[in-house]
Amino acid sequence: MKPTAPVLAAIFIATARLVHGAAEAASQAAIAPDQLAFFEKNIRPVLVQQCYKCHSAEASKVKGGLTLDTKHGLRLGGESGQPGVTPGKLAESSIWEAILWEDDDKKMPPKQKLPAEVIANFKKWIEMGAPDPRETKVAAAGGGKRVIDMDQGRKHWAFQKPVKKAPPEVKTEGWARTDIDRFILAGMEANGLHPVKDADRPTLIRRIAFDLTGLPPTPDDVKAFVADQSPDAVKRVIDMYLDSDRYGEKWARHWLDVARYAESSGKEVNVLYPEAWRYRDYVIESFEKDKPYDLFLKEQIAGDLLQFDDKRDQAQKIVATGFLAIGAKGHNNRDKRQFIMDMVDEQIDAMSQSMLGLTLACARCHDHKFDPVAQRDYYALAGIFLSSDTLFGTYKGVQNNNTSTLIDLGREAAQPAALAKISSAEFAALKRKYEEADKAAREAESEVRSMRTKERDKAGVSAFLRIRGTLDRAETVRADLDQFYEDGTPRALAMGVLDRDRPIDSPILVRGDIKQPAEVVPRGLVEVLCAKGEPLNISRGSGRLDLAYWIASKDNPLTARVMANRVWLKLMGSGIVPTPDNFGFMGQKPTHPELLDHLAVTFMENGWSVKKLIRSIMMSRAYQSGSAHDAANYAVDPDNKFHWRMNQRRLDAEAIRDAMLAVSGALNLYPVDGSPVARAGEGREGLTALYREVSSKPLTCRSIFLPIVRDQIPEFLSVFDFPDASLVNGDRDTTNVSSQSLFLMNNSQAQGAADAFAARIAKMEGAPLDKLKAAYMLAFSRNPTDAELTAIRNFWNKFPDQAAQSGTPKDKVQYAALSAFCQSLMASAEFRYLN
Amino acid sequence: MNTPSFNRRDFLKTTSNGFGYLAFAALAREQALRAAAEPAGPLAPKTPPLPQRAKHVIFLCMQGGPSHVDTFDYKPKLAADSGKAAPSVAGRYGQTKLMASPWKFGRHGRSGLYISELFPELAKHADELCILNSMATDLPAHPQAFSQLHTGTTQFVRPSLGAWTLYGLGTMNQNLPGFITLNPPGNATRTYGSAFLPAIYQGTKVGGPALPGGGGGNIRRYAGMEQASVSNIKNNRYSTDAQRTQLDLVQALNRSRMSLDGGVSPEVEGVIESYELAFRMQAEVPKVMDLGKESAATKALYGIDGQNTGAFARQCLMARKFVEAGVRFIEVTHGPWDHHFNLKASLERNCDAIDKPVAGLLTDLKQRGLLKDTLVIWGGEFGRTPHSQGDDGRDHNNKGFTMWMAGGGVKGGMNYGITDDYGYEALYNKMHVHDWHATVLHLLGLDHERLTYRYAGRDFRLTDVYGTVAKEIVA
Repeated sequence: MKPTAPVLAAIFIATARLVHGAAEAASQAAIAPDQLAFFEKNIRPVLVQQCYKCHSAEASKVKGGLTLDTKHGLRLGGESGQPGVTPGKLAESSIWEAILWEDDDKKMPPKQKLPAEVIANFKKWIEMGAPDPRETKVAAAGGGKRVIDMDQGRKHWAFQKPVKKAPPEVKTEGWARTDIDRFILAGMEANGLHPVKDADRPTLIRRIAFDLTGLPPTPDDVKAFVADQSPDAVKRVIDMYLDSDRYGEKWARHWLDVARYAESSGKEVNVLYPEAWRYRDYVIESFEKDKPYDLFLKEQIAGDLLQFDDKRDQAQKIVATGFLAIGAKGHNNRDKRQFIMDMVDEQIDAMSQSMLGLTLACARCHDHKFDPVAQRDYYALAGIFLSSDTLFGTYKGVQNNNTSTLIDLGREAAQPAALAKISSAEFAALKRKYEEADKAAREAESEVRSMRTKERDKAGVSAFLRIRGTLDRAETVRADLDQFYEDGTPRALAMGVLDRDRPIDSPILVRGDIKQPAEVVPRGLVEVLCAKGEPLNISRGSGRLDLAYWIASKDNPLTARVMANRVWLKLMGSGIVPTPDNFGFMGQKPTHPELLDHLAVTFMENGWSVKKLIRSIMMSRAYQSGSAHDAANYAVDPDNKFHWRMNQRRLDAEAIRDAMLAVSGALNLYPVDGSPVARAGEGREGLTALYREVSSKPLTCRSIFLPIVRDQIPEFLSVFDFPDASLVNGDRDTTNVSSQSLFLMNNSQAQGAADAFAARIAKMEGAPLDKLKAAYMLAFSRNPTDAELTAIRNFWNKFPDQAAQSGTPKDKVQYAALSAFCQSLMASAEFRYLN
Repeated sequence: MNTPSFNRRDFLKTTSNGFGYLAFAALAREQALRAAAEPAGPLAPKTPPLPQRAKHVIFLCMQGGPSHVDTFDYKPKLAADSGKAAPSVAGRYGQTKLMASPWKFGRHGRSGLYISELFPELAKHADELCILNSMATDLPAHPQAFSQLHTGTTQFVRPSLGAWTLYGLGTMNQNLPGFITLNPPGNATRTYGSAFLPAIYQGTKVGGPALPGGGGGNIRRYAGMEQASVSNIKNNRYSTDAQRTQLDLVQALNRSRMSLDGGVSPEVEGVIESYELAFRMQAEVPKVMDLGKESAATKALYGIDGQNTGAFARQCLMARKFVEAGVRFIEVTHGPWDHHFNLKASLERNCDAIDKPVAGLLTDLKQRGLLKDTLVIWGGEFGRTPHSQGDDGRDHNNKGFTMWMAGGGVKGGMNYGITDDYGYEALYNKMHVHDWHATVLHLLGLDHERLTYRYAGRDFRLTDVYGTVAKEIVA
């Protein structure tokens, strides 16, 4: 169901109340001596004794953001947004209301009401103009209501535009190959570090192949690269992988991490989103085709509003806005206003963290505690999203109170379908089925309606459940029906966002509470990121187009930096800014600020080409360094902040799984269109069907195509630190926990991959040693060492007998040993760590 | 990630060079033993900042919202006014009337706590129980309240109580998971998830539904624990000897990789250690989960052979064994307790199913001297209304409900907080879920305001900006 107009209207019925920020500016005239005496005698002692414990800068915890130990704090008031005291106006003085003890929620001091004569003194004092000599400014820290200084805020390093500077001079000659190297080398030299030896060729191609495609290099690729002595061998191999379809499947996943991509709502009810996969495929294609990153962002925020070439292009741009629709949602929320505000919050959070590296959602309930972002900035953005219709689909059910339509992309859009065409007869049958189910639901409802009150009371819940049950059934059938046109062709439906007819501005919600609307703020952008005096307001419609252009702009100080840092982090193992999703005050500072600016500006100069950015990093000597330990360097920089070597990196969950399938020869690179989630159907039955499909036979497609249902992440991925699909995550954990070891040794998928690997090896020609070497080349891109051969021999001397003793048939023992050996290769550290 | 001291790494580096694989395997075992003896890393036991009254938690989680006015919150006025129109409360399904509890309450123990006849066995432990009659939670909807009970929030994805506990305290047996959840309901990953805390702090699931989704009553969910175990804990192919041989090969390859890397690689070392731990867990987990060696008397104590009590009895007994083995936090889920109708029959059956097992657990813990260190908690996400729903049911009530705690530093034989005359709403000493979280952490020696984790630029707490410790109940 679409949110109806009254629901929205209710959000925007704001009380027209001005914030009395300027109250203290009034009357700075000297206080009359008798008034001063009155304050000192009758007011100050009460404030000190009764209020300061919780409401002063010195209090261990300032309650309600209200400080009463300065004139400024007292008049400004706390988080409620109401002035503490307005000179001469009792009705606009919240502390007056509080000391009267009339409102149950607001009785101060909380334990005992003040004596009547003290209350009378406060009345007199406020009426005489609340003379107050306590001029000292409120301390910014300590919880008092902070006034954000935007000019000061703009001085934060990340809020200033990146500037390209000439690479620094370096002392070591001959090492640096690119500008990046000069920045890195200068950092090393300044800290008394020296670069280590370059990576050898097999190590390097393994690194490049995994980084660009998420798959190991084939033995032939390794051989060719090792033999290629030409000066541009490295560039050629990089380009080969960049041009491969596998590149898009690898790099799209990095973006899906920060886009918190998933195919279900997560949270309490976990409703499936059968059309989410279109957004996933859009991201894959965007990376594959090296879509300029600024356009990529614009499409995700406002693709529906951008110009398009043809129907297909338009469909793709609408699918892009799925970014805003796929977030986690609490579908069972009975309060639609709350549901919508939570959804908007999720959109602001995902957009700001992924694209800007800012945690703007922190300003929902109060001004941002650390960054110069005011609550009004948040509600200016909220207005933009509230003026847009987020279409996420789903059908009504027992636990789903929030549904919407989807966007029909149309036949001419020529979009892929997850479902096969059905015959028009099948369609007609489905339609009949729906009509019957719908009729049954109506009958149940009218039957209960026609009961007399007494009967209905008696039937109670069971009557309710009957209606609910028949309705749910009808909705489930309708969901199936909606998938097709009359002739049985599947419809191309998409999640996404469209502008509403009439845009609306949002009130500030005090403490984020929908029941406490305050001042309405015009839709707009984030003040601190705009030049001083630049208009923040939007020009037309919801404002999403303005927002898109503002984010994907060369003038935005964050956008290019954040993405350059993300790419650097994925290739080098640690970010120049170590907190990739937070460039705010609480994020960490860049280790190489000038390098970051160099990358960001070059990125923009190169037309926001991600592939060019990747290539420039990979062509650096820093990227091509070995990962060897060096005691002297290690003593100075154990965390390798200065990149004196390449970090040893663990593969992502997807790469581990894909590599196991690839090595064993079982990887299917051509999955059918769509997703198992799209084929599963709606509601609880859908989840069950999905589970049946996934557990009946392990899928052998690349991991990016596995169904990503929130909180039901495939074990193979979750065990290797697949991130929480409800949260933006630009830097995955890489843990080493025993559940991974148990998985690799005991799980049937791991054992299955070992069997397939063994079968592949067994089929090869040649002597046992040749086969063993072939297995090594496939798994590690190198030959075994002597020590390893000894260990393998030892294994072979013992294992077959032991396997026989534990019941493996005699004729299967050698094969079992081969499988166990192959499993050992895939289970070893080298398989999942890149050097 | 494990970061061992430089000395040990140095030692390994020099000793592993030039050795054959046998020497290495022996070394790996020695190292593993050492790691077990001196645990380090994120799960090592930590000394809490406050006095530690409880070292373990067993949370008996009653999913669905058990009725407090029929069990632990005695309301004589509700009985007196039964049948009268419910004051100021509009029911969701028509007119509502107050409904007396169909069960009698009696006073028990020296403390004289009121407990209904639904819990005859548990009532014998009245003097151990600290009954929290004034619980409150934000919303009367199952999923939100269940989420708040576990993570403090109805709305966001946040770490669970068990994950916070593990993060704050580590665990005492490095061969077992530190946070185990037995039989969690479907679609409640959040209740044992770690959210933004490192993955190592999430709960390890044992049992639970085979199907994703969950929601209503799922019979398979409560069908006992014979088959249930930790994921991938058992190797179905090879004997332990053969597996050790295979593992020795894996470790030899790992060691070789490390020497190719110049002998120093915390990553590879971490892999080596995790394999040894996994191998030990493989032996240890089934041992702890094997109830076969328990005496007949112990089994009888829990009611393991009872048709109605058997499933929960096994889980309670397993919880004790986990505590004994050093597991920090164990949650056991039972349900559903969502008695909108058929209250009489269903509540009676549910109470009977857990009465003896829970009483047995308390007795057993006490006999073994474990109760003083173990905080046992009982309760669900909310309670139920004093008025009826239909003829024989009660609706959700989030404004006042009851939980109880025992052992681990709480005062026994007391009621904390009071609801109004009918049991609608907590009036005195109201204990919101945030306060309860603060109190549980306090009993574990953790300060809920200082147990923080930095994520997305700010320090998060289990209790967000709320929570007051109920000091009155601390022994």
